[in-house]
Amino acid sequence: MTTLAPTSSSTAAPPLPPTPRRIGAPLRPRDFGWADAGILAASLLSSFLLVWVVFYQVTLLSGIFGFLLCWYAAFLALYWVVTTQVVDRQAATDRTATVVVVTGAFLVLGIVAFIVGWVTWKGVGHLHTNLFVKDMSHFVPADRNVLHQIGVLHAIVGTVEQVGIAAAIGVPVAVTTAVFLNEVGGRGTRIVRTVVTAMSGLPSIVAGVFVYSILVETSVSRYSGFLASLALFILILPSVTRTTEEVLRIVPGGLREASLALGASEFRTVWSVVLPTARSGMITASLLGIAIAVGETAPLIFTSFGNNNMNVNPFHGAQAALPLVLYDFVRQPQGALIDLAYATAFILLALVLILFVLARVLGRQRSTSGALRARLRSVLRPSARSGGSENPSPVGGRAGRPPLEILTVSPNPKEPLLP
Amino acid sequence: MTLTATNDRNTVSDVQPTPGTGAAGLVAREVCAWFSGRLVLEGVTLAMPRSTVTALIGPSGCGKSTFLRILNRMHELVPGAQLAGSVELDGTDIYAGRLRATDTRRNIGMVFQKPNPFPAMSIYDNVLSGLKFSRISVSDRDALVEVSLTKAGLWNEVKNRMRELGGALSGGQQQRLCIARALAVEPRVLLMDEPCSALDPTSTARIEQTIADIADEVTVVIVTHNMQQAQRVSDVCAFFLAAENEPGRIIEAGPTDVIFGSPTDERTSDYVHGRFG
Ligand SMILES: Nc1ncnc2c1ncn2[C@@H]1O[C@H](COP(=O)(O)OP(=O)(O)OP(=O)(O)O)[C@@H](O)[C@H]1O
Ligand SMILES: [Mg+2]
Repeated sequence: MTTLAPTSSSTAAPPLPPTPRRIGAPLRPRDFGWADAGILAASLLSSFLLVWVVFYQVTLLSGIFGFLLCWYAAFLALYWVVTTQVVDRQAATDRTATVVVVTGAFLVLGIVAFIVGWVTWKGVGHLHTNLFVKDMSHFVPADRNVLHQIGVLHAIVGTVEQVGIAAAIGVPVAVTTAVFLNEVGGRGTRIVRTVVTAMSGLPSIVAGVFVYSILVETSVSRYSGFLASLALFILILPSVTRTTEEVLRIVPGGLREASLALGASEFRTVWSVVLPTARSGMITASLLGIAIAVGETAPLIFTSFGNNNMNVNPFHGAQAALPLVLYDFVRQPQGALIDLAYATAFILLALVLILFVLARVLGRQRSTSGALRARLRSVLRPSARSGGSENPSPVGGRAGRPPLEILTVSPNPKEPLLP
Repeated sequence: MTLTATNDRNTVSDVQPTPGTGAAGLVAREVCAWFSGRLVLEGVTLAMPRSTVTALIGPSGCGKSTFLRILNRMHELVPGAQLAGSVELDGTDIYAGRLRATDTRRNIGMVFQKPNPFPAMSIYDNVLSGLKFSRISVSDRDALVEVSLTKAGLWNEVKNRMRELGGALSGGQQQRLCIARALAVEPRVLLMDEPCSALDPTSTARIEQTIADIADEVTVVIVTHNMQQAQRVSDVCAFFLAAENEPGRIIEAGPTDVIFGSPTDERTSDYVHGRFG
């Protein structure tokens, strides 16, 4: 309150002479530099030593898991304290939180990589061509000599058919239900949503027993792949429905209004605007459902039952499936069969991976009909001059590329993208 | 939905229900609107003559958008929305049940405040989307796309990018794409709800030019908060106002130069001269 600088004088002062401006090294206040990495490493090391002394030497505890937990907790505390001293409290909290989040991400990544890596490592060595071309009709568990003669083609066929049928019924039903919940609405919405939510808590074995008790036990049907599809359908329906509903909810209401204002019926609006806009998210939703179905074992025991012989007809007779074969192998005492189980598990993983990649590729082509039309045009009119609409060079920037390729790669930053 | 009978109902019923072509006049009579039982618009009667540009002006919340949405049956899509009165498209009451809602909306197109091109469709498909929705076939799609985009003042900017997605354009371009999309189905009336409010001056000028160009073929009704714009583009002007806790009403309507030059009501004069609102 004592010395108030005459602020007005600064405005009256003549303008500063133009000093040559030097551009210094750009400053990035949030950078994580060598010093910070050093703090991190030092915290890791000192907390390790500290906990090692306390854990094993002083308190004589044991167990690697407890040690790791204590180490991590001590590391976080130490890291926070050191950062408070070096920078400030806010930065310390910020960085410690970052460390926790990054740990979580790497933990998940690590677990997935470990599972995939383990199965691959144990399984790849035991793959052989017969696995992909033969079934298990000559299989005798005790006879080691036939092990190289057997294959799991019958189970691959069974899994693909069962999951395929389940998805073919399940995805349309789920999408219809989601459209009902989100686009139609009305009185039934609440009940349907509750039922769907309740269904997602259904243990998978119950789905199998359910199909078994109403169809097999009552002699309506014998064991067949289709029954397995029904059980899997029950399992994937709630997940796909709820995920699709969430995806549809993200489609902006303005698009529906725009479509209706153009004279589209409500059905056309859903079909031509809402669903295509939500397409990529819906593919993810379906994939999640299919991924659930591929790995299910319990419901299959009561429905498709399993079969050592090839049965390509999903509607008649017991059928094998990869998880069932895997389960059979794992229960055998011989090491050679355990190896086969790993090979089978690897095939199952590869199947899921192929499925995911396939769906992603299909999903990326934004409009199949549009792309098809473009291809047709470029074939019919190779001059590519239909109303100037297909002049490819300004779009792709590189001459000589076929127009179709340009169409499929053009990304759209404003499209509501879903993982 | 309550519909008050109007005196002209008998003459109206003799008119062919199938819509014709070219610009059409629109007459709203005693239109009222409710949201969940709350009256927000009362007794609005307004004639929007064929091939003219009508501007709806008024402060925020006075029911301009609601009125506009009643003109092409979009209002009834809001849950809990009700309306009364009649709207006649060249003498045919669009609420009398002789015209389907989808046909009505195709004849009375709409452009929204926020550009909303279909993100999953290419620019080309966006323009043709209205035809696709109504299963109307055209002999020369490319020509129609070019004509529509030219009318909307967008053709030169996008003629080499037809296959890009509609969302890959700038905001102003998206809005003009929406106008082209609305024009492609050859509506007889085009409703525009603050079409320029999110746009820069250049795009705004473009769209005003577009409005002037298309006014021969299509009757335009535009909501705007920009007094200069209303003055520039419109032939007829209607001033809406809602007093506190009261529904919106039309205070004054007439030729634009009268509304801006010598309005009879003091509130209109205050509003157009920026003294309130
Ligand atoms: N979906 C809705 N549900 C309930 N009330 C609504 C709804 N839409 C509008 N209203 C109410 O109706 C009245 C008129 O709204 P309207 O959108 O027509 O105003 P407006 O004149 O277009 O305003 P603005 O210039 O801000 O766009 C307002 O009081 C508003 O609160
Ligand atoms: Mg409005």
